[in-house]
Amino acid sequence: MRAWISDNSALFLVLPGLFFFSLFMFFPLLFTIYLSFTDAEPATVFQDGPGGITGFFGLRGVENFVGLENYVSVLSDPAFWNSLGITWLFVVLSVTLKVAFGIFLAMLVTSDRVRGKRYLRSIIIIPWALPPIFTITIWRGVFSSARFGLANQAIAVFGMAPKSWFNDRWLAFGTYLLTEMWLAYPFMVIITVSALQAVPDDLIDAAKVDGAGFIHRFLNVTVPSIKRPVMFAAILTAAASFTQFLIPYVFNRGGPGRANELIILYGYREAFTFDAYGAGAAIMMTAVVFIGIFMLAAVWKGQLAEGVN
Amino acid sequence: MTMLESIRRKLARDVRTAIDKPAEFRADVEYTIEGVKRGTISPRDVLIPAVSTLATLAFVFVLLIPIYWVLMIALQGDGATLYSTDSAGLIPKEFSPEAFVWVVGDLYIPGAIVRIAVPFTDVVYYFEWPRIVFLDASNYVDTTSDFPRYFWNSLFIGVATVVIAMSLIVPAAYAFSRREFAGRMKLLYGYILFTQIGGGLGIAALIALYTIFSSTGLTNNKLVLAVYYAAMAVPFNTWLLKTYMDSIPVSYEEAAIMDGASPFRVAWEIVLPLAKPGLATIFIFIFLTGWMEFIVAQLVLRPENYTLPVGLFSLVDTYTVPWGRFSAFALVYASPIVFVYMFAQRYIESGLSFGGVSG
Repeated sequence: MRAWISDNSALFLVLPGLFFFSLFMFFPLLFTIYLSFTDAEPATVFQDGPGGITGFFGLRGVENFVGLENYVSVLSDPAFWNSLGITWLFVVLSVTLKVAFGIFLAMLVTSDRVRGKRYLRSIIIIPWALPPIFTITIWRGVFSSARFGLANQAIAVFGMAPKSWFNDRWLAFGTYLLTEMWLAYPFMVIITVSALQAVPDDLIDAAKVDGAGFIHRFLNVTVPSIKRPVMFAAILTAAASFTQFLIPYVFNRGGPGRANELIILYGYREAFTFDAYGAGAAIMMTAVVFIGIFMLAAVWKGQLAEGVN
Repeated sequence: MTMLESIRRKLARDVRTAIDKPAEFRADVEYTIEGVKRGTISPRDVLIPAVSTLATLAFVFVLLIPIYWVLMIALQGDGATLYSTDSAGLIPKEFSPEAFVWVVGDLYIPGAIVRIAVPFTDVVYYFEWPRIVFLDASNYVDTTSDFPRYFWNSLFIGVATVVIAMSLIVPAAYAFSRREFAGRMKLLYGYILFTQIGGGLGIAALIALYTIFSSTGLTNNKLVLAVYYAAMAVPFNTWLLKTYMDSIPVSYEEAAIMDGASPFRVAWEIVLPLAKPGLATIFIFIFLTGWMEFIVAQLVLRPENYTLPVGLFSLVDTYTVPWGRFSAFALVYASPIVFVYMFAQRYIESGLSFGGVSG
C-alpha cells in the first residue's frame, strides 16, 4: 500500500481538481437521475424531509419516489415529441448551413485571387471572440418587430412589409438558424482553413494540368482532403446545436406558445416555469442520452484521443 | 516583468506595422500602375484580384453588419430608437456620447480621511483628500445604469474564479506532464472528452444544480458561483496547460536535479517560470468563463449580485431601456474581450490545434 502511494504520489496533485469537477458535474448529474424518479417540485423538494440516501447531504426534501411515472408522462406528451422533432430539425438544418457556409468562407479567405487574406481571416472570426449573450441579445434586436429593426430594414429594400419575426413559428425558427450559423461559423472557418492549407498544392496543380474544372477539383481533390477534420468539427458543432439553449431563450422563450422550445429549453421551462422538477429532470436525462451518443460518435469518428500522451 | 516587457515590445511592433502598412500599400499600387502602363503586368492580372478582393470585403461587411449597426446606434446616443422614423439607419446623422455616459456613470475617486497614529506617542496625522470627479454624469443624463455594480460583481467573480481554478489546475497539469501515476491516461482522456461536451452536460444538470444550491442555501452567493466556474474550467485548462508544459524541454530539469534541487524546487523555479505563456493563456480563458457565463448566473443570482451578462439580459428583457443605451452597455461589456482576443489571437489559435483537428 505504502509502495503504491509513493509510486503514485503525483496523483494527489490531480485529485483536488478532479474532486471539484466531479462535485459540480457528476454529482448534479446523479442527482438529476434521482430527481427524475421523484415527484419533486418547489413545494416538496425544498422542505426539510426525513433524510434517506441523499439526506446525508442535507438534500432530502419530502418528494416521493414515483418510479418511471415521469418518463411515462413525458414520453406520452405530444409537446415532448414536438420539442424533440424541432430540436432534430434544428440540428440537421443548422449543421448543414454551418458546414456549407464555413467551407464557402474558408475557400474565400484562402483563395489565390483575394489579397490581404490574413487580415480578412482575423476580421471574420470576430464573432467568436464576443460573449454569446452579447451576440444573441444583439440578434434579438436585429429581428425586432419594429419598423427600423435591421432585419425589417433589410427586407424593406426588397419592398416587403415589416414582419414580427418572433410571432410566426417558422419565421422564428429561421431566425434561430441564422443566428446559430452566425455564432458557429468562425469555428468552422478556423478548422476548414487549417485543413485547406494542408491540401498539397501539387495535387491541385496536377488536377489543373489534367484539365479538371473548378467543380471537379473541389469534389475530387479538396473534399477528400478536408473531409476528416470537417466531419469532426461537424460532430462537435452538432452537439452544440443539440444543446442550444440561449438563442430560443433570449429571442422569445421558445415561442410562439411552446412551439419552438428546443429540448434543453423544454426541460428548463418544464422545471422552472411550470414547477415540475421531476418531469424536467426526466427530459434532461433523455437529452443526456443523446449527448452521450454524440460523445461516442466523436470518439469513434474524430479519434479525439489521437496524440494523447 | 520580462513577460510584460515582451508584451510591450510585441504591441509596439504591431503598432509600427499598422502605421507602415498604408505606405507599403501605396507603393505596391504605384508599382502595379507603373507596370500596367509599361505593359509588363497585364491588366487582367490586376483586375481579377482587385475585383474579387473588393467583392470579398463587401461580403465580409454584410456578414458583420450587426456589430457595425450596434456601434452606430450606440454612438447616436438617445436619438436612436427602433421605433422612431428618422434614426437607426446605417449612416448616423449625429453623434452623442450620451449612451456611453449613461452606462459608465460618474467616474471618480471617492474622498476619504486617513488617520495615521505614530506608535508610542500621541501624535496623530490626518490625511484628507476630496472626492476627485473625472466625469459627472448628471451633466449629461438624468439617470445612470447599474453597469458599475455589475462590473464589480463580475470582476469579483472573475478574480475569485482565477485564484481557485489556478490552484486546482497548475499542480494537476504539472503532474500530467511530468509524472507517471495510475490512471493518468484514462483521466487525461476523460478530461479531453469533457472539454467537448461538458457545456451540454452542464446545462442538462441545471435543475439538479439549482435544487442542490437552493437546498443548501448557496444561491445568490458570488463565491460559490466562482467555485462552480473554477470546477468547470478544470478539464479544458488542465489539458491546455499540460500540452504547453510538454513543450518545455526536460533537459533543464535534469540539469537542476543533477545540481541537487528538490522536486518541489524544480517545479517552482524551472517549470513554472518557463510555462508563463501557457499560464497567461489559461488565466485569460478562466477569467473569461466567469465574464461570459450567463445561464447559471441568472438562475442563482439576485439583482444585487448580477454579473454583467445577466445585467445585459435584464436590460433587453424589460423593453423600457432605449436601444441606444442598450447598445452602449453591450459594447462596453464586450469590447475588452475583443481587444484581448485580437492581441492574443495568433497564440490562441496555434495553442488550440487539437490532435484530431489539424488534418
